[in-house]
Amino acid sequence: MKARIIAAVALAAALSVVVSTASGGNKSASQASASKLVVWLQTDAQNGWPTAVAGATSAFKAQHPGVDVEIQYQEWTTHLQKFDASIAANDVPDVIEMGNTETSKYMAARALSALKAKNYPNSQTWLSGLKQSCTSGGHLYCVPYYAGARAVIYRKDLYRSVGVKAPPKTYAKFLAVGKKLMKKYGHNKNFSAFYEPGQNWYVAMSFVADYGGQIAVSKGGRWQGTLNTPQAIQALTVFKKMVRSFSRASKTTDEAHPYPSIPFAKGRVGSFIGNGWEWPYVFNPKGGAAPKSFAKRMGAYPMPSHIPGRYTPTFLGGSDLAIPAQSKDKQLAADWIKAFTSSNSETIIAKAGNIANTTTLVNVNKSNPALAPFAKAAKYSWFVPTAPNWVNVENANVLKNMCTAILTNRSSVAKAAGKASSQITKILNTKS
Amino acid sequence: MSSRSPAAAAPLAAPSVSRRRPLGRRLRRAAAPYALLLPAAAVIAAVLGYPLYYLVRLSFQHYGLFQLVRHKGESIGTANYAEIFHDSLFWHVVLRTIAFTFACVSLTIVLGTLVALLLTKVGPFIRLLLTAGLIFVWATPVVIAVDIWQWMVDYEFGVANWTLTALHLGDFNHHDWFANPWSGWAVIVSLIVWGAIPFVTITLYAGLTQVSRDLTEAAAIDGASPWRSFRDITLPLLKPIYVILISLSIIWDFQVFNQVWIIRNGSPSTDYYLMSIYAYVESFKISEYGLGSAIALVMVAIMLLISFVYIRQMVRIGDAE
Repeated sequence: MKARIIAAVALAAALSVVVSTASGGNKSASQASASKLVVWLQTDAQNGWPTAVAGATSAFKAQHPGVDVEIQYQEWTTHLQKFDASIAANDVPDVIEMGNTETSKYMAARALSALKAKNYPNSQTWLSGLKQSCTSGGHLYCVPYYAGARAVIYRKDLYRSVGVKAPPKTYAKFLAVGKKLMKKYGHNKNFSAFYEPGQNWYVAMSFVADYGGQIAVSKGGRWQGTLNTPQAIQALTVFKKMVRSFSRASKTTDEAHPYPSIPFAKGRVGSFIGNGWEWPYVFNPKGGAAPKSFAKRMGAYPMPSHIPGRYTPTFLGGSDLAIPAQSKDKQLAADWIKAFTSSNSETIIAKAGNIANTTTLVNVNKSNPALAPFAKAAKYSWFVPTAPNWVNVENANVLKNMCTAILTNRSSVAKAAGKASSQITKILNTKS
Repeated sequence: MSSRSPAAAAPLAAPSVSRRRPLGRRLRRAAAPYALLLPAAAVIAAVLGYPLYYLVRLSFQHYGLFQLVRHKGESIGTANYAEIFHDSLFWHVVLRTIAFTFACVSLTIVLGTLVALLLTKVGPFIRLLLTAGLIFVWATPVVIAVDIWQWMVDYEFGVANWTLTALHLGDFNHHDWFANPWSGWAVIVSLIVWGAIPFVTITLYAGLTQVSRDLTEAAAIDGASPWRSFRDITLPLLKPIYVILISLSIIWDFQVFNQVWIIRNGSPSTDYYLMSIYAYVESFKISEYGLGSAIALVMVAIMLLISFVYIRQMVRIGDAE
């Protein structure tokens, strides 16, 4: 009898765990009520511009003295799952930050509430790329927050030690510096002339864009993955050769595990491609904790293209702020967003290494030699396909897996790119 | 065995007592066990039955983000099942999950047995140390344990690579344990087995202490080798414990999720998919909740099939008692 009970309990346990795997997930901790505003921001704000967040909240509180603001910091890899769970539970945050590649899926599903642009600061001069990522069917569903371009962050002193006094202006010169650095420092097994985490697909796709390739194109209402085109395959082959000769970063992790700034601060890295905010992050205790004096040895330049006189297009990443359709305090949420995207607040955000959401602040970093190259790099940029399902391609790790397969030599460039291409076609055409 | 006699006496006395009782009372008497079961059944129905019903319902629906926002799915019959059964990745993942479970369970049971036998041989102080070590492993929360393992096998700063290189076992500088799925799975299996050994060992040790020394001594005098005595005396005596441990281990290892998920930084490549991960990715990453539910249900079915043999054994052992 006892064993039968044990069997029954075991069975019950078995079922319960499986069930919870599929139907569980994180329930949001947010509890919307008239006296509390729940805001989901990414940890980038916590690490990079906490003063802007604090400033917005205190400005908001001056306006609404009885309302508490609870900022809940989220990770990029999990925040959408949590958001989905909060939608299922009818318990959504009042404000949510979304990447500009993530919004289209949520706009298409009508998970965000429509907004009026004129209610928000600088709406006449918002960056058009970000505004586009907030617009669907003529309606606005989010407020541009900030954008970011990537550039090469490098060690001036190491470049000088191999006789290179100015940042390379052509791809050939970029390769030449890398070769010299590997020759001089490569005997140290931890040294990378150019540190490229294998799953940092933004860099791989920059090469694809540079060679005239695209991730996918829309033809007659159907999406078609195009990484199997000759241009893309050529680009990925060039990329693979460069990474395999210059980088000793892991080929199975992305640019957040670890942040490239950490090995960079430890002196193991000649250069890496990073966002503007990754420059100051080198000095952050979590980002490498380099001493302040290290700044003198650092520089940045836009990644040169293989086409003379151009830069390799950079991914124009960015973030938007949205109010979920189920939010119970939309007016309060709007007021907080207004405070957070005010010119003052955006200036702080830009100074932390980003591009502000408005063209009126485009010159904030112009006189800052550290951050000016990032703005310059944005001259040539690319963006992900605008399909509503795009973020599912990111979430299914299609491009990360492709990069790992290529860089570890587990499959040929053509085979890996072909596989990714057909996966992308399938995901983008799935009815949602 | 002695506990049997009062129970055996009861049926003899019962009829004569019940015959004198009125019908209502007898019915109440008969209903009592069911009434006592009711609260537990209600709890199970609420926390298990309803989610399971919901899961089954979801698996026959198209339930994406659009449907999630409206809290209403679209019925599509068995299309989700048709899709997964025609998906080569799915079958790949099923086979991998079964192989993974087999590897984890057999290693756990074999190593757990060896450590349990070791516990019976060592002195009290060493036994105390060993037991304390086992309890510490058992008490470590999964997330922390995985973090520690991840740190140990870290590509850039890991102590495993450093130690192996320092011991001149080869150049492990920047060795990526997860670049090759075989070595990646070896790390994950080690992590699972490491975490599972304490429970198996302590349970088996408790069982071993109940094996009468007379039997093993008699066998030794008759010239039986230690292996023979283990195989023909200890093992049969411990069979009920083994059946339960193996069943539980299969159930646990078949649905491993956290360890793989965390050690791959929450974005495992398809080489690191187990069924639980596949179901999770489909549901929560791609917002195909219907498809994810179908995978989860197939997973339950396969697990029931695998553990059926063992559960039947358990029930048999129960009946024999």
